[in-house]
Amino acid sequence: MSQLRRDPITGRWIIVDITNPKRPEDFDLKPQVKKGGACPFCAGSEKMTPPEVDAVRNRRSKPDTPGWSVRTVPNKFPALRIEGDLEKRGIGLYDMTNGVGAHEVIIETPDHGKDMADLTQDELENVILQYRARSLDLEKDERFRYILIFKNHGASAGASLEHTHTQLVALPIVPKRVKEELKGSTNYFNYRERCVFCDMIAQEKQDRLRVIRENKDFISFCPFVPRFAFETWILPKAHDQNFKSIDNKKAASLAAILKDTLSRLKIALKDPPYNFIIHTAPVRDSINEEFHWHIEIMPKLTNVAGFEWGSGFYINPTSPELAAKYLREV
Amino acid sequence: MPELRKDPIIGRWVIISTERAKRPNDFKVLHPEEEEGVCPFCEGHEKDTLPEVFSIRKKGSKKNASGWDVRVVPSISQKLSVNGVVDRRGVGMYDVMDPVGAHEVIIESPKHYADIYELPRPQIELVIKASVNRIIELGKNVDLKYCLLFKNHGLRAGGSKTSKHIRSQIIATPVTPTRVKEELRGSRFYYKFKDRCIFCDLSRQELEEKKRVIMETRHMLAIAPYASRFPFEIWILPKKHCSDFVDIRKEEIKDLALVFKTVLRKLSTALNDPPYNYMLHTAPFRHAERPGYWNTIKEDYHWHIEITPRITEVAGFEWGSGFYINPMPPEDAAKYLREI
Repeated sequence: MSQLRRDPITGRWIIVDITNPKRPEDFDLKPQVKKGGACPFCAGSEKMTPPEVDAVRNRRSKPDTPGWSVRTVPNKFPALRIEGDLEKRGIGLYDMTNGVGAHEVIIETPDHGKDMADLTQDELENVILQYRARSLDLEKDERFRYILIFKNHGASAGASLEHTHTQLVALPIVPKRVKEELKGSTNYFNYRERCVFCDMIAQEKQDRLRVIRENKDFISFCPFVPRFAFETWILPKAHDQNFKSIDNKKAASLAAILKDTLSRLKIALKDPPYNFIIHTAPVRDSINEEFHWHIEIMPKLTNVAGFEWGSGFYINPTSPELAAKYLREV
Repeated sequence: MPELRKDPIIGRWVIISTERAKRPNDFKVLHPEEEEGVCPFCEGHEKDTLPEVFSIRKKGSKKNASGWDVRVVPSISQKLSVNGVVDRRGVGMYDVMDPVGAHEVIIESPKHYADIYELPRPQIELVIKASVNRIIELGKNVDLKYCLLFKNHGLRAGGSKTSKHIRSQIIATPVTPTRVKEELRGSRFYYKFKDRCIFCDLSRQELEEKKRVIMETRHMLAIAPYASRFPFEIWILPKKHCSDFVDIRKEEIKDLALVFKTVLRKLSTALNDPPYNYMLHTAPFRHAERPGYWNTIKEDYHWHIEITPRITEVAGFEWGSGFYINPMPPEDAAKYLREI
């Protein structure tokens, strides 16, 4: 027997198998194997990347030399270009703009052998603070409307280099997925005068069925309407629409829960490929009480097929209740 | 300079990275040895599937026996069932309902072919007729709101490991899916603004510009869409305005079969049998004449088929933004597919 569930934010439906779910061992799990070899992200290879834009480094070390622990460089093959003015125009029925934007890579560690889950809490905290620093810097650029921070882990999740890294893209428009989410949470807010994510946290804390972990400032749980098996969200418990306003103390808490979550996924699913995405409010937007920033982690255990692509309706073989139970118990 | 292009229907943006532009050879798909099991879809194995719900068969042959051309059976892994009542309810702040719906498999040939271009054209016509028949039949069930016809070809497109036997699937749902609603709303919005169908406008512009046209017949048009999300994405549209696929005319069925056969052969040759999905985009079932309930759909919507090869990985950026990065400009893809 399966159940249809509707996402309270975007209105997206999923079909989730309740009675005959897939357990971790039922997926075709192949641990990520690192091949090694020449890597532009390793310590000592700094000249192989474009010059760094920011880094966490030893006082005495110089830019673009070893001695760093986190390093941000422009993407060598950027999807968008930082130079130029935004130029929007129409071609008959169609609209286009030139590809102005920023595309940066945040190298999380000089150590090739480590995954994000292997970083110490302090190292992860530095990575998070680097995310914040880059967000604050890029949002000064008036051309940008949205800053998207995401990570692809494993080849089938789209990682082209195996050395652990996060990407940051600053866009001249607010992307559609973000708009959908903002619209959904605004609708909810208009109706209830409460934040949908705050309500969700309250219900999850009460139900306790899908919660994985909680610390002083953050909560991790498998959402009620997950698109993917073992999808996991991390939310700040106190309402805040912007990731960039995270303070140092909360960055430490976030590092702790992020490490906890990634380690659990790594053990339960044998180092699965995944994408993680920080959902935050657009730059210079009046959004405030309606939206709540959070992180969505989506393991890629199954292939997305025609039905999902055509309908935006997802079939999930593992209920979030079961997934959370597994993740709590590993 | 890369170009940001906006899909005129649903407003989705795509980055066409002209500098990183690739040639088809860069995408050629490798096929490691893929072993198949005993195929339950071949003629003679009718007992290995659930009992058929529809078939086109030779005179005198019996149900669930040999002698068929196209056969439709319920999916063995069906998540939705026609038995049950639509029972929407809340669980705290969340909404749930029972899995009312249908999930069927259209077996497109009694022989063990793997891709649609291998079928003779009259056989493809029968497949289209069977699909129309099933959609009409499922539409009679007032609990169902939408019916999606789609194909998963190859493992990475969600195809099955056990058998490559050519088939497509139908899933009917008790709610109108979000992606479909977006498209319907987008076309209605354009229609309100211009009093014209956006797909008709789009076809006209493509036929004038010619750059993105892959193939044209009397009744059908195949293009590489302006804001293609994926390399070698292809759309097939009827030239004459029509919102609902089930209203397809005889001569259109013939042309559609020809376009299917030609375009998918080209795609397979160009990329060495790539995994792909195709999806039929058609009007939802309209049982209730409620106000604002897709009442203008006959004028503002236009059915079409979207074919999306799965040769690049969809990564965090796409998932987080709904924004796609496509390294293959559709003009180049169309040119390549025209000439191959």
